[in-house]
Amino acid sequence: MAKKLNIKDKYRLLTRDLDWAYSYADRSKAFPFEEFEGIKITDWSKWEDPFRLTMDAYWKYQAEKEKKLYAIFDAFSQNNGHLNISDPRYVNAIKIFLTGVSPLEYQAYQGFAHVGRQFGGVGARVACQMQSLDELRHVQTQIHAMSHYNKFFDGFQDFSHMHDRVWYLSVPKSFFNDARAAGPFEFMIAIGFSFEYVLTNLLFVPFMSGAAHNGDMATVTFGFSAQSDEARHMTLGLEIIKFLLEQHEDNVPIVQKWIDKWFWRGTRLLTIVAMMMDYMLPNKVMSWKEAWEVYFEEAGGALFKDLARYGIEMPKYADVIEKEKDHVSHQAWWTFYTLGHAAGFHTWIPTDQELDWLSEKYPDTFDKYYRPRWELAKKMADEGNRFYSPGLPQLCTTCQIPMIFTEMDDPTKTCYRDHVHNGERYHFCSDGCKDIFCDEPEKYVQSWLPVHQIFQGNCGGPDVADILSDFYKMNVGADNLDIEGSPDLERWKKWQNAS
Amino acid sequence: MTYEVTVEPTGEVITVEEGQSILHAALRQGVWLPFACGHGTCATCKCRVLEGDVDIGEASPFALMEMEREEGLILTCCAIPESDVTIEADIDVDDDFMGFTVNDYQATVTNIEDLSPTIKGITFQLDSSMEFQAGQYVNVSIPGVEGTRAFSIANTPSDNQVLELHVRLLPGGLGTTYLHEQLRVGDSLEVSGPYGQFFARYSDPKDVIFIAGGSGLSSPQSMILDLIERGDDRKIYLFQGARNLSELYNRERFEQLQKSHSNFHYIPALNEPEATDEWTGYRCFVHEAVNQYFDGKCEGHKAYLCGPPPMIDAAITTLMQARLFERDIHMERFVSAADTSDGASKSALFKRI
Repeated sequence: MAKKLNIKDKYRLLTRDLDWAYSYADRSKAFPFEEFEGIKITDWSKWEDPFRLTMDAYWKYQAEKEKKLYAIFDAFSQNNGHLNISDPRYVNAIKIFLTGVSPLEYQAYQGFAHVGRQFGGVGARVACQMQSLDELRHVQTQIHAMSHYNKFFDGFQDFSHMHDRVWYLSVPKSFFNDARAAGPFEFMIAIGFSFEYVLTNLLFVPFMSGAAHNGDMATVTFGFSAQSDEARHMTLGLEIIKFLLEQHEDNVPIVQKWIDKWFWRGTRLLTIVAMMMDYMLPNKVMSWKEAWEVYFEEAGGALFKDLARYGIEMPKYADVIEKEKDHVSHQAWWTFYTLGHAAGFHTWIPTDQELDWLSEKYPDTFDKYYRPRWELAKKMADEGNRFYSPGLPQLCTTCQIPMIFTEMDDPTKTCYRDHVHNGERYHFCSDGCKDIFCDEPEKYVQSWLPVHQIFQGNCGGPDVADILSDFYKMNVGADNLDIEGSPDLERWKKWQNAS
Repeated sequence: MTYEVTVEPTGEVITVEEGQSILHAALRQGVWLPFACGHGTCATCKCRVLEGDVDIGEASPFALMEMEREEGLILTCCAIPESDVTIEADIDVDDDFMGFTVNDYQATVTNIEDLSPTIKGITFQLDSSMEFQAGQYVNVSIPGVEGTRAFSIANTPSDNQVLELHVRLLPGGLGTTYLHEQLRVGDSLEVSGPYGQFFARYSDPKDVIFIAGGSGLSSPQSMILDLIERGDDRKIYLFQGARNLSELYNRERFEQLQKSHSNFHYIPALNEPEATDEWTGYRCFVHEAVNQYFDGKCEGHKAYLCGPPPMIDAAITTLMQARLFERDIHMERFVSAADTSDGASKSALFKRI
């Protein structure tokens, strides 16, 4: 009797046999992206399938998940779930998610479809194609999960258009564009490893626990549904880094450079999550600093301890990143507060109770550097002078975040770095971002920097209000400005009185 | 109350405490199961229950769906056993694993010798023969000591009526103190075995590196003698680490073997030799000797590591930096009963390391 195949062998036969030999065509022409990054692959057969899932099983599981998920969306909608949220301020976190994060899922779908075509190894191709399908499902279910809010709150109506144009949304958009414009192996270290494996918990846990703490059942349920796919993504991220490090010793410094770059870019991107956790959730989950300690310092520390065996070191500027956890959320929310007239969501001054919570969570920095600003803002607002900054901020050429960050050893001094390339001076928010530029200046001189584009007259205008309404398609006076006096808040009060 | 969970297809057995998850117990007992999130949402650790009762715990309905619950699937990261259980996990069985049945034996002491100032060699006669693979271990019940203690088998599988164990005296260790101070020739102990996934992969023709520290010479001794008995002519390197010459036991035996078998190379290393040892060999930790001997290049070998956890840990790093990776590194960590998990987070990067 023939030996019964184990799961591993079965999967190998079902997937690896999809490949074929190139008997009359040049194989390197079929996979033109495989070599230019300098990565050396000596034996694709050493690729270990990170998960073993066949298409028929995939459809069966995903169909079951969708049934369950959409039943909950329907129930949420029919029961006017938006009335059960903790506070209308919460919805603004969801606006950022829909305009800033959900379109990234779509970019992830595109990116994985691309590498799922371009890898020479069939095991890696199949795994990336599977992840590509997951990402498409995620963007669709996220849009559906949040569509209910679009009926009752401002700021949701043109999320994909906004993602392409709005100044602060160029931060997440350009992050993914950078990864997708890289070679297939860098894309996998950027998105598959750094983002999906190491940083994903810092993105998802705050949003999903935030939703749970603030009565948003649709988003919580979407989160669980997506997380059941994340396992595949995480194991794929781990397999790619092990595979590259084991294939050839010359890959080690290349992978280290990508880790340095993408951890820095990732922490910059997560600034928006930091701000959401500390300032935008009416019912708090944990502080950004606490989340960073649990999910990066502890879990990431264990990972880098293991990676050290391959000769991989902690990401460059890990020491700066460690200090930043005490500052970035405060610096970011202050920026949005002062530019709240140009944001597609509402901003506000923390309540007294929230200021006390921040003082408690950030004993070393909040009272000393940040609380006095909020007290001044409150005084000005009470006197009828709610402060909005009239200027447009200077942006970092790499991460495209306004130059809002300070020197970490002197939080009263803004951090400026610059570099001259081909006679042009470029500006950066940090050494991390400057290094990334200097390594590939040809790439980053092409950055579409929203503020530059406005000044160049490429975004309509001439006034900021014209740009907001005509170029960004915001409903000026409804989508933007302080939550006090907003139509969102007025409607919320009416619903409360009616019930 | 504890339950025994048998993990198929390898047949490894773990002990799970009341209220403890299967995954939690498995990882702490050195049995690898697939996992990622650790809290019931990602489904990486999905397994099938073949026998027994399990509380599925806090598994997310998206990670473990109704139809799967009905089919007897669980997520080991949150599943709590309610009886002895057998599960089937998506783990690979090594083609070289023979899967010999675990049995109970009565073992009578026939000889006790001092191998070093801290290590005794104890030889037993078994009441019936025990089939095992070179490298595996037995569990020994010791009078007055709760639970059992694990010891690797130092004799070859061809000599399966006897059992040779190397026992290092651990300061304050109940089990090893008994074996060192009270056990006498003629005494009889209960033994069960064979256990473990540490055995030589003969189907892989690569040359082999053995790295042994302390009483961790036992398994390599069995594997090397077995390889030589089989007439295997691949190159075999034994690196034996000890503090000083008096702790470097069975040295003459391996020096003899090196003379009689040109494919066998014996490389001892002392990290703190005494002046009177007049030591001319490697004066460093055993992993450093490996690195120097192979000039930092170990690609193309199989490595077997046996000894205390810090030695194993250092040896793995040395081997990986010398370009030998997880699939070619096999190890047996000698964890004492006093060692408890330090609770540090574990990354999912490696399966067995």
